[in-house]
Amino acid sequence: MPKQVTIFTTNTCGYCQMVKKYLGAKGVGYNEVNLDKEPGRQDEALKLSGALTVPVTVVTKSDDSQEVIVGYNLARLAPAIA
Amino acid sequence: MDQAQNKVYDLLIVGAGPAALTAAIYTTREDISTVLFERGVIGGLAAVTDKIDNYPGFPDGVEGLTLADDLRKQAERFGAVIELGEVTNIVDHGKTKTIITTDGDYTAKAVLIATGSDYKKIGVPGEQTYYARGVHYCATCDGAFYRDKRLAVVGGGNSAVQETIFLTRYATHIDLLVRSKLRASDVLIKELDEYVKNGKVTVHLNTPTEEIVGVDNSVVEVKVNEDGKAGIIKIDGVFIFVGLLPNSQFVTKLVDIDDIGFVKTDENLHTSMKGVFAAGDIRSGATMQIASAAGEGATAALKIREFLEGHES
Repeated sequence: MPKQVTIFTTNTCGYCQMVKKYLGAKGVGYNEVNLDKEPGRQDEALKLSGALTVPVTVVTKSDDSQEVIVGYNLARLAPAIA
Repeated sequence: MDQAQNKVYDLLIVGAGPAALTAAIYTTREDISTVLFERGVIGGLAAVTDKIDNYPGFPDGVEGLTLADDLRKQAERFGAVIELGEVTNIVDHGKTKTIITTDGDYTAKAVLIATGSDYKKIGVPGEQTYYARGVHYCATCDGAFYRDKRLAVVGGGNSAVQETIFLTRYATHIDLLVRSKLRASDVLIKELDEYVKNGKVTVHLNTPTEEIVGVDNSVVEVKVNEDGKAGIIKIDGVFIFVGLLPNSQFVTKLVDIDDIGFVKTDENLHTSMKGVFAAGDIRSGATMQIASAAGEGATAALKIREFLEGHES
């Protein structure tokens, strides 16, 4: 189980809902940064992901290493939270 | 998961968009055990559409995410199970089919392919290079990154016009680049016209997009051919809505498909593999509307029920 998961989302983003749904189904808690409510944190999302898109999921593992997953990508998300 | 994989279901549905969810509502109400598999967003393209004004029963329109979620809730209410994962193959055992997924194999007496479609690419230089760094296909996902910026939208159909209207809440100005003429519905064009009159949107007809140009990892302009003359439009991002391609990669060698890749069916929505049906955008001849996808889902469910009744005897 990861140490921490943070998801950058927007209100209208369907893929963001799917990441939250997937994490919920796996019993993995997360912090959500909603960029519609906190537009000032967009640069943070861009710096982490290199992309102007959401969802951006940041998984901090038990050894404090981080994996950043852009988009709804189960192939990467599943092993990252295992 | 292991117990589920040992069971023989009545029906497995590949996809969980409007056609798939409607079929599941019908089948589960008749106690036909049904599992759906979705690799992307539950609700399909409808879920990433800002507002849907032409789905019947919603006099003020409905947000795509809301419609998708309500379809999901309705299907699950009657017992449909939705698994998140990708289907990579269908193995025909005659009376049963096994679908191979990224989360294990599942077996059923019938399969419904309802994988829908995805947005086409224009196929111009720069499009792939700047993907997600100035080139986008989902306005509801990425529009928020363009507050107070200039955008271009490429396309001339309902999606292009609808998403242009959506993006006006963020962008200072939008150039709508239409290859030939606008094909969107009159209602949408009328709504767009309000933004044209107030200067928020400029519509460029007969203007194919030729290249997307960037500097230092950011898009800065698009090169176009406007009525035969080369032109440059300075923008910060491009959203592309130029039509749909079928999500049929995993079945092209399994069932008959048409020249573009859509799955062929008979009048019973039966594909060339007995026990495998298709409905919605994936089907050859589909009209690519949410309302008709739902209708095909219901039809498919009834045809599958008939098939299963014959299957038992």
